[in-house]
Amino acid sequence: MIHFVARRGVRALGVLLLVAVLAMSTPLLLPGSPALAVLGLEASDADIAAFNERYNLGADPFTRLWNWVTALLHGDLGTSIVTGSAVTDQLAERLPVTLELVVVSLALALVIAVPVALRAAWRPGSVLDRVSQSLAFVLLSMPGFVLGMLLIYVFAVSLKALPATGWVPFAEDPVEHLAHLVLPVVTMALAEAAVYLRALRADADDVLGSTYIHAAQARGMRPSRLLLARALRPASLPLVTLVGLNLGMALGGTLVVETMYAIPGMGRYVATAIGQRDYPVIESTTIILAAAMVVATLLVDLSYRLIDPRIAHDARH
Amino acid sequence: MTLATRAPADAPAPAPAPAAASAAAPHASAGVAAAVRATRRRRRADATATTVAAVWLAVLAVLTLVSIATPLLDPYFQDFTAAKLGPSLAHPFGTDGNGRDVFARTVAGAQNSLVVAVITLAVGAVGGTLIGVAAGYFRGALDNVIGFLIDVVLAVPALILIITIVSFRGPSIVSIGSTIGLLMVPAFARVTRSIALTVRERDYVKAALLIDTPTPRILVRSVLPAVAPALVSYAFTAMTAAIVAEGSLSFLGYGLAAPAPSWGGIIAEGRSDLATAPWITLAPAFALAATVMAITTIGERVKERYS
Repeated sequence: MIHFVARRGVRALGVLLLVAVLAMSTPLLLPGSPALAVLGLEASDADIAAFNERYNLGADPFTRLWNWVTALLHGDLGTSIVTGSAVTDQLAERLPVTLELVVVSLALALVIAVPVALRAAWRPGSVLDRVSQSLAFVLLSMPGFVLGMLLIYVFAVSLKALPATGWVPFAEDPVEHLAHLVLPVVTMALAEAAVYLRALRADADDVLGSTYIHAAQARGMRPSRLLLARALRPASLPLVTLVGLNLGMALGGTLVVETMYAIPGMGRYVATAIGQRDYPVIESTTIILAAAMVVATLLVDLSYRLIDPRIAHDARH
Repeated sequence: MTLATRAPADAPAPAPAPAAASAAAPHASAGVAAAVRATRRRRRADATATTVAAVWLAVLAVLTLVSIATPLLDPYFQDFTAAKLGPSLAHPFGTDGNGRDVFARTVAGAQNSLVVAVITLAVGAVGGTLIGVAAGYFRGALDNVIGFLIDVVLAVPALILIITIVSFRGPSIVSIGSTIGLLMVPAFARVTRSIALTVRERDYVKAALLIDTPTPRILVRSVLPAVAPALVSYAFTAMTAAIVAEGSLSFLGYGLAAPAPSWGGIIAEGRSDLATAPWITLAPAFALAATVMAITTIGERVKERYS
């Protein structure tokens, strides 16, 4: 196990290193120097050198990555060219917003998908099974922005039940905060729930055919306990993969939802920075988001062995 | 069988008999008759869905041809006296804020969205197959390097990469298509690699190796045909992913430049008029979802045929 973790860890670190070099190569996509673009063509050499020093620009990607890492060890993620404030301060404002969206929508998606998928697999062909499968199919065919626009149209424009856009911090007004949270969270959760539902439903079908399930049933175990305590764990491997990958991508993947609902999260932060050629912000956030993805993938791999210890034995032989 | 014949085949609601049977019997041994009925019902529903899907795609193709070949559907014609009109005979999907026909724009949007999606798919499928087959067939160090590079592509935040390149390099069909295509390479590579791995162990490949068949010939004559069915099946899924990706990109404003209509772009344009002219958003939204559904449905049939 330790050997496995070490090997995977080294590989993940290598992947992250290459992504970081690529991120540091972003300024190379545009001809000319960022310093001249910001300071103007008459800028003195001293000004340009100071600018490059302050924003870690001007050098080759490897040197810049080295500077970035040494700064990181001092808790410094660079300075935004546009606002002049520290990237860490800006992240401290944006990251919680996106995390809240991601965690709440994931919880909602699982609360919808797990019971429905298990119940549907328990009675294949039942009304619940057919309705949930059809709904999942429709939801899977709808990109997030289409689903979001429909929800806005129905609940904000037509029924006027919920605010269409905007974000109110919890500390400012808890009720308004929740009201603004509903539509974006539901948009994300429904799309995720459809994916989870399909994956779990397919695997639960196989598991429910096993003899130990019949044995448990013959002993008189209640279906709800049977499903949650006996069937869920063996059927949940693909679900764990999907949840893990979704979490890994989520921090960067909320861009569409954040744009649609005007939420000041990570996605919009990066998109704005890209539009403004704010290299320190683009680079730091890209590396952070890639790290999140790499860690999530690693955890998924490890969790396989916790969920099904046989996997570790198979790998050893 | 008696149960199956007793209940009319096209009963709209689940008949009480199979429900009672499955309630009495445990999961796996639910009444055989009920299972037969369920299978039949599914087959019939599948057939209907496939027909509807094919008809939808055919209609879309015909309309696209009409909009290319005739001036009947002009997505750019503006009539400011006829802005934000509701759906009518003259404008089946109404008009937008500039008095342009939403129906014509949706049809033209289909064309742009599908062209980008096809380019994306081509880049992803060709690149992914080359890499996947190479990794699976040659194995060893090459396989490891390719696996590592695939991990790198998967770790890069997808939307950020696309937006960066489109924003820095300009929104052209080539930049959009090749960047989304690059992100599709890993999935295609995985599909083809696993098959190339097994094909290499087949007797006919071993025989070909024994008589010194040149490697390119083995790859083209033996490996590629074995990979093809899975490739075609996966291409349908990838096609829908490409349409969704292009739509999201256009919706965010990083798609093809402004007046050129694409589904995501029209949906975003209609946003501010959602209260007064919802058809601007809802018509292309429906077209987009319906097209994805249609391609998925036909893809499922293709998958069934090959497996």
